[in-house]
Amino acid sequence: MNKYLSILSMQVTNNLAYPGDFLGRSISIATFIFIFAGLWGTTFAISDTDAINGLTLPNMIWYFMMAETLELGRPRINRTISEQVKNGEVAYILNKPYNFILYHFSAGLGDGIVRMTLNLIVGSAVAWILAGAPPAPVGWLMAFITLIGAWILHFCMMALIGLAAFIVEETNSFELIYQKLVFILGGFLLPLEMFPAWLQKIALALPFPYMMYAPARLFVKPEMGLFWQMLAGQAIWVAIFVVLLSFVYQRSEKLLTVNGG
Amino acid sequence: MKHIKFLLALWQANLQGAMEFRAAFFTQVIFMMINNGVYFLFWVLYFDKFNEVRGWDLRAMTLLFGIAATSWGIGSFFFGNFVSLAEVIAGGRLDYYLSLPRPVLLPVLASKSIGSGMGDLIYGAGSFILSGYFTPDGFLRYLLGVLTGVCIFVGFMVIVQSLSFWLGNTTALSQFSIGALLTFSLYPSALYDATTKLILLTLLPAALIGTIPAEFVREFSVQQLFQLTAGAGVFLSAAIFIFSKGLKRYESGSAIQVEV
Repeated sequence: MNKYLSILSMQVTNNLAYPGDFLGRSISIATFIFIFAGLWGTTFAISDTDAINGLTLPNMIWYFMMAETLELGRPRINRTISEQVKNGEVAYILNKPYNFILYHFSAGLGDGIVRMTLNLIVGSAVAWILAGAPPAPVGWLMAFITLIGAWILHFCMMALIGLAAFIVEETNSFELIYQKLVFILGGFLLPLEMFPAWLQKIALALPFPYMMYAPARLFVKPEMGLFWQMLAGQAIWVAIFVVLLSFVYQRSEKLLTVNGG
Repeated sequence: MKHIKFLLALWQANLQGAMEFRAAFFTQVIFMMINNGVYFLFWVLYFDKFNEVRGWDLRAMTLLFGIAATSWGIGSFFFGNFVSLAEVIAGGRLDYYLSLPRPVLLPVLASKSIGSGMGDLIYGAGSFILSGYFTPDGFLRYLLGVLTGVCIFVGFMVIVQSLSFWLGNTTALSQFSIGALLTFSLYPSALYDATTKLILLTLLPAALIGTIPAEFVREFSVQQLFQLTAGAGVFLSAAIFIFSKGLKRYESGSAIQVEV
């Protein structure tokens, strides 16, 4: 356990060592919130209404802030794993005294903690200016709890995509499509309330809303029933993905050929 | 003329390189088209609910997406280094191009091709055709909008990344700039107030890549024709000027580099 905590803290320190990169990321979240606020500000003004499907304009802006925090802070370990598989570095990592997947989990978590904290601070400041005071503390609490499940689901998907490099050369395309599925069916760009009923049902049967919609929606409108529903959904999908990931990892190890050199 | 011949030879070499790994190339192309299509579903859902926003409906957004995707596709497929110029400068990899008997900027930009750009190009053209604005004069205006869009995409990114000559590695700034330019270009500028619109026409010229060419295709306007051509001319000239100025400050690390 200690070794994984050390990997995590090492990754946190690495991230803090590049303040320029830090600043660049914070500008990104501010820009995206600004674009989103423009779209929904105009939409609410034209619709001449205070709430659309139960969500007000401040709800929408804070919703997007939380969703964007997660999107910019989610693990991108697929690229690292993919590179390690392609350039052969994986051979040196596999014989180290730690589990390959748990190593990436710790490293990704170290990255994610720094990125999400920064995004949350800058994003909250921008959202506060554009939309007024943040949601109630219970919303923060529910968002934080479901954020953990959402992050683990993202990690499993990213690791699966990274491990695909054992079979196919190029995995970036898979990530792009996965990202867009989260954007649409995960409720990143449009909360599920805005979907037609039939699409809402399809989306809820898939893992994507539990990766994005859950923390963002509970953040702005905390409801006990929805909280348990989202938590249960996350638990089921995490269990499915963990089994799938360990199966794929074992198969991938067998596919590995090390040629020395 | 000799520059065009040289450019054609570079593109031919890039294409031959891509065909060496044709399965990977076609995978990238197809996946990029799917990626764009899934992303566009947002607007399908949005306009299903709201019908129209300040003169923009699903048809107009299909057109805007078509123009922006084609411009980005051409830029990244034919001038692929326009997104990684900062790394080339900061990494001392300009040495190789300085030894060529040509203007430096053109071969630097055209010596790399991003395979997924072809997917954007095909998606963009398809989106334009499906938008319903595919008429003879509409097509000519689309071509002009795409051409100016490519010049502005490439020109703007060369300007931003040429800052590496003075500031060192500006990769983070470049990534932010490309992200902001692309994202803003995919939203109609009618959503924003006058100040933001002005910024989107000048400092971050996203409106000149998405909104203005889309409005120009929908209806001919002398003002928009001027905005597009002047914007393309200004950004391209400024890019060449700033890159040339910066090049005089370039210092090689004498590292051994291999250009493939």
